[in-house]
Formats: sequence, C-alpha cells, structure tokens
Amino acid sequence: MQRSILKDLLILLGMFGLIWLAASLFSYPENPQLLSIEKEERLGEVYVDLILLNPIFRELENERVDSAVRMIGKRLEEGLGHSEYNYRFVVFENEMINAFTVPGGNILISSGLIGFCDSPEELASVIAHEMGHVEERHVVSRLIKELGIDILTSGNQYVMGEVTGLLTSTSFDRKQEEEADQFAAELLEHSSIEPRTLASFFRKLEEELDNELMKHFEIVSTHPNFRSRIRKALSYVPGDDFEALPIDLDWEGIRAGL
Amino acid sequence: MEYHPLPQPDEIEVRVREDAMGAYFMMFATAAMGLPLPILNLVAAVIYFYVNRDKGRFVQFHTLQSLYSQIPVTLLNSGLVVWTIVNFAKDYDFTSYYWGYLVMTATAGLIYFIFSLVGAVKARKGIFYYFVFFGKVAYHQVYRIRPEHGTSAPKNRPPDY
Ligand SMILES: [Zn+2]
Repeated sequence: MQRSILKDLLILLGMFGLIWLAASLFSYPENPQLLSIEKEERLGEVYVDLILLNPIFRELENERVDSAVRMIGKRLEEGLGHSEYNYRFVVFENEMINAFTVPGGNILISSGLIGFCDSPEELASVIAHEMGHVEERHVVSRLIKELGIDILTSGNQYVMGEVTGLLTSTSFDRKQEEEADQFAAELLEHSSIEPRTLASFFRKLEEELDNELMKHFEIVSTHPNFRSRIRKALSYVPGDDFEALPIDLDWEGIRAGL
Repeated sequence: MEYHPLPQPDEIEVRVREDAMGAYFMMFATAAMGLPLPILNLVAAVIYFYVNRDKGRFVQFHTLQSLYSQIPVTLLNSGLVVWTIVNFAKDYDFTSYYWGYLVMTATAGLIYFIFSLVGAVKARKGIFYYFVFFGKVAYHQVYRIRPEHGTSAPKNRPPDY
C-alpha cells in the first residue's frame, strides 16, 4: 500500500513538474535565446541606421569626441574580456542627457550626456551599465516581450518603425536595472576604473531628476528605487589588488569642443 | 496491514451518502470563499472534517480525500498570490516561469474540480471513488485497523479469532 501511494505521489509530482516546465517554455516567448546573437547583430545594424536617420539622433561629427568614446569603450571591452558582441559606440547630437542600447552591442550616447559627465570615468560608468544590458540581453528580452519573436524578425517596415520607437524609449524593470548596475560595477573594476564612480554619478543624477533634459534617460527610469541603487553601488568594494588607472583624456577640452 | 471491510453501495444509508457528497461541495464553497487568501479554505475544510468526524468511515473517507486533494491546490494558489504580489511590489518581470506556474496552477485547479465533481456524484451513489494518491492516502487513514492504545476510551470489538 505505502509503495503504491509513493508511486502515485511521484507520478503526480512528475506530471505537474513537467506541466510547469512545458508551460514555461511555450506560454511566454520572452526568452532571449529565441534570437541568436548573429541575428541580433544583423537586426541591430539595421536599427542603428534607421535611428540615425532620425534628425533627433543625427550622428555627431566630432573626431575628438569619437576617439575619446572609442578609447573609453576599448578600456571597458578589455576589462570585459571575451564577449559575443562586437561593440559599437555612436555619439549623436542632442542636448538631452541620454544613452541607450540597440540590439547587437550598439550603444548610443548623446552629446548632452558627454557634456553632463564631469570625467571620462563617469561616462565609462554609464557605458558599463549599458554594456550590462547588452550582455544580459535585456534589450532583446524587452523587444521579444513587447512584439513577439515572429514580428520582431519579420523585417516589415512598420515593425521597424515600432522597434526604433521602443528602443529609444524603452525602460527596464528594477531587476534588470540592478543587474546592469552590478555588471557595471564589476566591469569598471576589471577595467581599472573606480567602481564607485557609478554611485557618485548616480548621486549627481539624483539631484537632477526633475531636469527635463533627463526624462528619456533609461538609467534613471526607476526613480522610486534610485536610493537603494545608490546604496548598492556604494557598497561595492573592489578587491585588494584593485588599482585605478586614470583615463588619459583632456576631458575639459573635449567637452568645450562639443 | 489490515483494513476494515468496505461497505457495499446498498449498505450505505442515503443520509450518509449525502453527507459524503456534501464534503466535496463544502470544499468548493470554502475554495470560493478562500480565493483572496487561499489558506483560509484549508482551515474551513479542517473544521468541516472535525464536525463530521463521527458520521462514519464512508463520510470520513470522502471528506479526507477532498481535504487532502485540496492541500496542494491551495498551496499552489497561495504561491501564485505571493509571487504575483512580490512581482508587483518589487516591479519584477513576469517571467516565463511565472506564466508556466500559472498554467500549472490553473491545470491543478481544473483537475481538482473535475475529480471532486465525479467524487461527489459517486459518493451520492454510495460508491468509493479513489483519486490518484489522495484516494489511497484517505483510504489508508480511515480504513486501516489501528492498534489499540491504552489511553483511549474502551471500545467494544468482536472477539479475535
Ligand atoms: Zn539601465
């Protein structure tokens, strides 16, 4: 009797475990695995081109700024080590304080943000946060959730318009923000940049939360929880062998030339 | 292990059959009542069991079977309520595991409902209807012949032979 009861129990547990698993796989196609990195990169290229066609996001033509951003990006990529993505950093001409991520490792940065950052390290901490969204595939999850994988990859021009709209306005949820913050702190440390720059930069942002220029900045979209994010970023302690290497740029000169 | 003999349908009084059927319907009622806070209906179900304790083994079996099968459904529902509240409170994503869990919980609720309905109809006809697992557990608990223990009140039993 006991044996037969136990067998029944195992059958029940197994059956419902399978239902959970199967339903998780099929019921909600938000899984970023649905889109391969190669496909993501191909899509990303198209989206970046589309976004840059929009006069709001016109690419900034300033060799000095470009090379500065490339230098910061390179430092972070070296800190990251192996990545499936080929990063591309694009600066667009807009006074809004903004930076966002387009699929395929494309990070778009406004000239307004560069002017707002008091040091290249501050800009590096924003870029590191965005790279967190890339590596954790938050953007892809978001798009698949909003549109579904079939629509996303359909290549339809109306869909493209919708996607670019989403990309330039998407905010992430609190968990994703915290993941990106954590990622940024670690990446900064590995890149020999003081990880607590993130916290000091957040504090600066917090004082400016009412600033109209920041209303599209995804990094501050989780207002109510901003304090706890600052606390978390502050409590990140780099390892004993950590040594900050300054990013060697004439930052004031670069900002003056914007 | 020894079990008490099972009564045949024609040996069970109509009043007893109705009480046994009532157990399933009672569970539905408490389940509906307990929707916002699923754990409440378990409390009500346990009370129902104790109130009907002395109505004989047939009623006890059906009440227990209904009660036991309700426990996992209730736990699943509670989990869903907690998960949903946490997601809203902390602004977490409703992940695929959440939706999978929701589907599983709904499936469990539906299966429980169908089996209970069948159980109620069979009970009304004086028939034993065993759910997977829970039926066996309830039968085992109600019909198993327990060894006497000294502290309880004396009971008259037929002689051993
Ligand atoms: Zn972010």
